[in-house]
Amino acid sequence: MPPRPLAKINKIDPAELKMLKKRIDIAMALIILSAVLLLTRLWYLQIYRGDEYAKLSEINRIRIQEIAAPRGNILDRTGQPIITNRPRFNVVWNREDAPNPDTVIKDLAKILNEDISVLLDRIRAATENPRYMPTRLKEDIDWETLVTIENKHLALPGVRIEVMPSRDYLYGDFASHLVGYLGEISRAELSEKHYAAYQSGDQVGKQGVEKVFEKYLKGEKGRNYLEVDVHGFEQRQIKLQDPYPGNDLHLTLDIELQRTAEEAMAGRAGAVVVMEVNTGNLLVMSSSPPLHLQEFIGGISQTAWDRMLHDPLHPLLDKTIQGQYPPGSVFKIATALAAISEGIVTPDATYFCGGSLNFGNRRYGCWKKGGHGTVDFQRALIESCDVYFYSVGMRLGVDKIAKYANSLGLGKKTGIDLEHEKGGIIPSTTWKQQRYKEKWHDGETLSVAIGQGYVLTTPLQLCRMTAAVVNGGTLYRPQLVHRITAPDGKTLKTFSPVSEGKILGSAHSLALIKEALVGVVNSAGGTAKVVALPDVLIGGKTGTAQVVNLSHVAGMSDQAIPYKYRDHAWFSAFAPAENPEIAITVLVEHGQHGGSAAGPVAKALFKRYFELKNGTPENPAEGPSPSPAVDEKEE
Amino acid sequence: MLRFDRRLLLNIDWVLIMAVLVVALIGLANLYSSTHLYTNMGTPLYIKELTYYLIGAAAILLIVSIDYRVLLTLNYPLYGAMILLLVVALAVGKTVGGSQRWIDLGFFRLQPSEPAKLILVVTLASYYYRKETGKGFGLLDLAVPALLTALPFLLIAKQPDLGTALLLAFVFASMTLFVKLRWTTLATLLCCGLSAIPLAWKFFLKPYQRQRVATFLNPENDPLGTGYHIIQSKIAVGSGLIFGKGYMQGTQGQLDFLPERHTDFAFSVWAEEWGFFGSSLLIICYFFMILWGLNIAISARDKFGVLLAFGVVSLIFWQTFINLAMVMGLLPVVGVPMPLFSYGGSSLLTNLAGLGLLMNIRMRRYMGTS
Repeated sequence: MPPRPLAKINKIDPAELKMLKKRIDIAMALIILSAVLLLTRLWYLQIYRGDEYAKLSEINRIRIQEIAAPRGNILDRTGQPIITNRPRFNVVWNREDAPNPDTVIKDLAKILNEDISVLLDRIRAATENPRYMPTRLKEDIDWETLVTIENKHLALPGVRIEVMPSRDYLYGDFASHLVGYLGEISRAELSEKHYAAYQSGDQVGKQGVEKVFEKYLKGEKGRNYLEVDVHGFEQRQIKLQDPYPGNDLHLTLDIELQRTAEEAMAGRAGAVVVMEVNTGNLLVMSSSPPLHLQEFIGGISQTAWDRMLHDPLHPLLDKTIQGQYPPGSVFKIATALAAISEGIVTPDATYFCGGSLNFGNRRYGCWKKGGHGTVDFQRALIESCDVYFYSVGMRLGVDKIAKYANSLGLGKKTGIDLEHEKGGIIPSTTWKQQRYKEKWHDGETLSVAIGQGYVLTTPLQLCRMTAAVVNGGTLYRPQLVHRITAPDGKTLKTFSPVSEGKILGSAHSLALIKEALVGVVNSAGGTAKVVALPDVLIGGKTGTAQVVNLSHVAGMSDQAIPYKYRDHAWFSAFAPAENPEIAITVLVEHGQHGGSAAGPVAKALFKRYFELKNGTPENPAEGPSPSPAVDEKEE
Repeated sequence: MLRFDRRLLLNIDWVLIMAVLVVALIGLANLYSSTHLYTNMGTPLYIKELTYYLIGAAAILLIVSIDYRVLLTLNYPLYGAMILLLVVALAVGKTVGGSQRWIDLGFFRLQPSEPAKLILVVTLASYYYRKETGKGFGLLDLAVPALLTALPFLLIAKQPDLGTALLLAFVFASMTLFVKLRWTTLATLLCCGLSAIPLAWKFFLKPYQRQRVATFLNPENDPLGTGYHIIQSKIAVGSGLIFGKGYMQGTQGQLDFLPERHTDFAFSVWAEEWGFFGSSLLIICYFFMILWGLNIAISARDKFGVLLAFGVVSLIFWQTFINLAMVMGLLPVVGVPMPLFSYGGSSLLTNLAGLGLLMNIRMRRYMGTS
């Protein structure tokens, strides 16, 4: 037994034992009560509110990774793809997986042919991100770099390749203003209602049909359900939901014609519009110079943007719908229609052009200084006699001219499915009163009659006007999209021609004008004889739009005039004359002469159109080389 | 050296042994589930815990072979040793998680506040046994036991380890109430205690402790900071539903969302994987053990045995209750481990020693008092 004797100890006094027993009973009761309390709490957490906590634990452990959907393709009217997708390979870096990051980054910099500081900067910029989130070190690497990295992946722990779908522009900057480009969704867009399903970082259409038809093109994102631990590291995949590609957009554009137009306009600023006269379908919508779509992938750089912003050729402007120019003599079609319909002139009534007309105390000159002599209605159009139109304009008054111009679709938006379209201006007495709070001066009517003064139109408007004049008088809404098809080929939506009503003027009046327009190209004294083709009868109207007051350039030769003061050149035409199919409008900014600058572009397009239509084997496209047979200068 | 009475063998407390074995096996299985993913920590923790269990079993054998009355002569030396260890812990102790709780012995990191709990029980039982009072304790009679408690209380609170310090206070209160207080004394103490709470809040609690209490009252205010433990533990427990997610299938525990999952929050891991079914079974096991302990107390052969057994039971009860209430969001996170269930050598050995004392008292209930 223990070294020391145990303390003497007595049995418990029975009375005290009874009291102790009583207190033990109280303690037991309290302990059982606390057990009941704990079990109730357990029941409350696991059964009463269990489902709620089960959901919270799922949210804790599951991370949903979104997989970008391939965007719908954009095709031409024959079904040839213009814009598709291609996988874009990015190099990403996960520092957690790399035991010796320094050497890996050094090796990687060599493979990527980048300075190591560039990579380190990227890593440093991402230090705020959660540890599991990989850092993107380089975007869109080429095939060889990809193969090198894949081959060396054992020596490059932590380095991975990320695949993202990205736009593939099969024809480069083809129809760039029309198709538009993509960009990361902005904060402002995210707060808009129709972008509710988007998240920051998503790519959305920013311009052109990419934006307007965003909801058809975008597709459905896929989702990868991953189990993650508390640090966010992936443990395993729970479920994979594949993305669903976007719908294909079949444009009304014709690849061949669009390319012909773009090649013909290369190096110049301007616009080309080709429309089917009986449907309003647009075969060509070209604004020059184009946007460089490749530069917009992954966000355009500030320098590239500034460069475009300050380019004198204004590449950012879609000149087909946003460029507002005085139509010049092309507008004489509207004035002529008003005059003949209002009975101001008869087809045979003649005016004498002596080279100028005096009105008030001012002298209004004709572009042909020697004068056209005696001209009737059609001759005046063919030779574009200013004095004739001064006279009829004076007698019509500006409001009558405006009435007919408006009915031809001028002075308002055409309603094409593109954003930021401009409406142009067709002045009238009320317009001037509202805009300038001033009375209309009759002298201003003379300028309007020949498409100068306040008149502003877009190339698309003039093309549609030309189409309406020669198709029997129907004004169609310009259409860009033919149909939309699902990835399985099913057609989701077709766009049929939309008529916006009949234009003013009798069939007879329209026939007279059309005949005169054929004369412009084909008869002696016509201003666009250079455009004539041997086997197709073309009609059209030239125009030269003054940019500055004549006094700025008086007495200068064409070459001596500074670029920005040179006149804009117009040509708006149709063919075949007997039964017109297409209308073409060409604008060359500061191109000086409608016939010689804009005409050959239209001619090349007509030629290509009928070659394609008649199955003629493809010839090397005839360049828009200025024809030596320059016409007389018109004003 | 030890002369063993054959009657002792006949009176071995198989019920308590079985209860402890069941809890131990569940605890080890649960520890395996919560720590098998820790790969870079040397010896697996469940092996270490199993080793402590074996050491504890040996300690129980030693404890039951000596009559518990020897403690009546050893109580003050033990108390003195305890105070010394607590001072050493404060002076040269290892700092872990911001508090100085451990003395590194090389092979073992001793947390002196754990044996201090049991030694306080022995000290108070001895004191109350010697201080015979018929009509209950008055205020002055309480001065000595209160001082005996206050000294380790302050040393532990200084570490700081508020949970263990409060546990000492609860054990002191339980034992004192058990030996009977005069009504006037009780009333005076209650009043003083209640008025001391705001003072303690202001002057005694450290900012992080105040933060913990505030967080407990509204954990959603700070879901990533101090509220995180409570929220994640409630999610773990609640998402167990009726039958749990399955052994080693708990997502909160296995994926690391649950902090301290092998120590303070071991029960949450169990509750997540075994649901209401397994959790209530475990709770019932513990309370059976506690109630059985009270049965041992009342059947002890002498008053010292009664007081000692009651003290040990109150120690085990308060640890269990505070830990369970804490992981289920009924009490603030104060860092009190679940006896036998939370990983930790000092705590396990202390509780096994306490259970050894209970077995000791049980075995000697029919023995003579001389």
